Amino acid sequence: MDEALLSLREISMHFGGLKALDKVSFDLREGEILGLIGPNGAGKTTCFNTVSGVYRPTSGEIRFRGTRTDGLPPHRMAALGIGRTFQIVRPFPNLTVLENVIVAAGLNCYGKLIPSCRPWKGRKTREEAMEILARVGLDSQAEQKAGLLPLGNLRRLELARALALKPHLLLLDESFSGLRHEEIAQQEELVRKTRESGISILLIEHNMRVAMGLCDRLVVLDHGMKLAEGKPESIRNNPEVIRAYLGKGGSANAS
Amino acid sequence: MSEYSITIGTLIAIQAIVACGLNVIVGYAGQISLGHAAFFGIGAYASALLTTAGGLSFWSALPIVLGITGLIGLFLGLPSLRLREDFLAITTIGINFIVVSVFQYVPFFGGALGIGGIPRIVLFGERIRGVSFLLLSAGFLAITLLICWLFTRSWSGLACFALREDETAASSMGVSPVRFKLTAFILGTAMAGLGGALYAHFMRFISATDFGFPMSVMILSMVVLGGMGTLWGPVLGALVLGILPEVFRPLTDYRMFLYAALLLLMIRFQPGGLLGENSLARQTLSRLKGGKS
Amino acid sequence: MQLFLEQMLNGIAIGAIYAMITLGLALVYGILRILHVAHAAVYTVGAYIGLAIFSATHSILLSAAGAMVFCAGLGFLIERFVYFPLLKYPPYVPLIGSIACLLAIEELCRLAAGPYILSFPAQLPFPSFTVGGIVISSTLTAVYCISAGVLALLWFITTRTELGLAMRATSQDMAIASSMGINSHRIISLTFMIGSAVAAIAGILVGIYYNQVYPSMGAVPAYKTLALIVVGGLGSVPGAVLASILLGVGETLLIGYAGIPLPRDALAFIAMIAVLLWRPQGLLGGRG
Repeated sequence: MDEALLSLREISMHFGGLKALDKVSFDLREGEILGLIGPNGAGKTTCFNTVSGVYRPTSGEIRFRGTRTDGLPPHRMAALGIGRTFQIVRPFPNLTVLENVIVAAGLNCYGKLIPSCRPWKGRKTREEAMEILARVGLDSQAEQKAGLLPLGNLRRLELARALALKPHLLLLDESFSGLRHEEIAQQEELVRKTRESGISILLIEHNMRVAMGLCDRLVVLDHGMKLAEGKPESIRNNPEVIRAYLGKGGSANAS
Repeated sequence: MSEYSITIGTLIAIQAIVACGLNVIVGYAGQISLGHAAFFGIGAYASALLTTAGGLSFWSALPIVLGITGLIGLFLGLPSLRLREDFLAITTIGINFIVVSVFQYVPFFGGALGIGGIPRIVLFGERIRGVSFLLLSAGFLAITLLICWLFTRSWSGLACFALREDETAASSMGVSPVRFKLTAFILGTAMAGLGGALYAHFMRFISATDFGFPMSVMILSMVVLGGMGTLWGPVLGALVLGILPEVFRPLTDYRMFLYAALLLLMIRFQPGGLLGENSLARQTLSRLKGGKS
Repeated sequence: MQLFLEQMLNGIAIGAIYAMITLGLALVYGILRILHVAHAAVYTVGAYIGLAIFSATHSILLSAAGAMVFCAGLGFLIERFVYFPLLKYPPYVPLIGSIACLLAIEELCRLAAGPYILSFPAQLPFPSFTVGGIVISSTLTAVYCISAGVLALLWFITTRTELGLAMRATSQDMAIASSMGINSHRIISLTFMIGSAVAAIAGILVGIYYNQVYPSMGAVPAYKTLALIVVGGLGSVPGAVLASILLGVGETLLIGYAGIPLPRDALAFIAMIAVLLWRPQGLLGGRG
């Protein structure tokens, strides 16, 4: 087995008496698309937030490329090479689409005094950002205010911003929800291309068809615990997983 | 120009500097501050004390004044990292009241009598007064605007814009909220300190009541009226609010009422500011441009 | 000891008056999330209208009723024509609107009644007591009884009636409340009217208590009460009342009795910052 890019060891997260995560462990290998699935309230988003630095886990250890990262704030995670998107999109509404992407391109300037005083309106920065926008197909809207974009484009803008960080690992939080059918196909294509460019991906997904089709492996959470882990086929036929989903009203489309 | 209009012009330039500072905090970084006059006052008192009791010249005191106000700004900016928006708003009002009462009740700061006998600024062997002071203030305003302009073009400025728009998203892109909020506070309060120092040496007598909460409201009104987050907005706001009372001066008794009513009408019908997005001025301008091309 | 008790009683009376002003502010903040600085202007207008009607009729009941009705109308107008159109803007926009409103109304009072301090020579129909050598004047009794009555009535309205339920629903989530069939706009207007009517009573009581009515009498309460709603926990009505009474007593004891030369205005804010450091959600605030 290759060295893990990201590894979680016995991560627990307690809110008061509630155990949102209970000793969850899994690894994400270099170059892999790993899906995090589970019924509502299973702890997927909490798990995500501990990886991206929003929460400090109550106990356990997270390593990214060998360094301990649990408890680091989000901007440090970004500097280490973890990019993320948000389930409820968070554009910078009064900045243009291009400026939205350029914010992420400044990653290496924000931490140091002198570089952070340099101008951001350089041609090179602009061209790089335009190139990323072209990759997600938003180059024609580059000068528009981000707040005016429809949801499908905003999801792509979030992806573009995360890519502009030049990350090793991309965290996608329900990047497909609220999209129309053809938009989902486009987005899937984008995610695959991203992986081909050498970026590993951890994603939360509600849509089982998308998760099964896109991911190399899946980790199933239920009630804050890891229920199963494996290739999509084995997860699909895992009786415990089926029970967890059906027990919640059978909303999953497991076939 | 009459002496009177020179005085008005100088005060407008000084207030524009202070308003630019507030614009950095409120307009660029999106942090609420309702007590900006406190820093205006701290700058004025620091410069007054350093040049009277301390015996320094204006020019050698100025770096110290900027350092002191920036440092206090950093210290008082700390609540912005923890508090919710509304709490922060009221806390900054509180800071204003507390700073004023410290000036008023601590004998070191001259107490209720204030500080008098502040020396004039000397430049190239000349004592600066009248038109020269107006030009000096305008020069400092130009430097302030230049710094603001450079700031909006720097990565730090972009980081502040991102924080203003969405803190969570900004930090996921490597922007440290602590670092850049405090940067904005230091920069903004140092500008207020500069304005304060100029004010002290222009008036040559200062007292705590000059820097009370009404002054903070006035400065914030300038920023909001002119157009928050724009470069020229605070200057325009300072001009409008500085000239209006003079226009109404013949109406002595009704002057303050008209001023308040006009402020109310402007904020009610042009809440984005005179130079803000979708403002009348902007729309007219773009229509003119559209007509030409 | 006797002096201490007398100061204590005065402090509670001042606190009770603060509470009546702060209440309106807490109600408005709870429902619209606006810092309603102009509330202090409503209170000033209440004192003036009360005084005008009292001078004409010599009936304190008529005067109170008239001031309440007038202020309720004023509160309604402020809500409808200043705040409501500005709700969709960031909070400092309605705040500046509110401050402009306060200035304009203050100036209007000055233009209408002159810049002088007017006296409010009303005798309230309440008895005075002497307990253990301490005199409780009829004004003091009146302040206690009236404020207790008003606070009890408001407590009843907000917790025990359908109107109160609708008010709480609207303050939780305006959109959901509307979808449940609550006319949230009318609830907001009613909240303003109730808060403003209470402010009118507070204005009259202050006028009689200090025997002074003047245009800028709202200037200090305008900002001090902001500190009080923070200390109480933003939007929490019982918290605001508790904080007001504590401040009234604290101010009177520290300044009048212990002789500490700190200005009253700063005290409220120093207390506020101390409380925020200790309990960032305020004394009785629940929401994190």
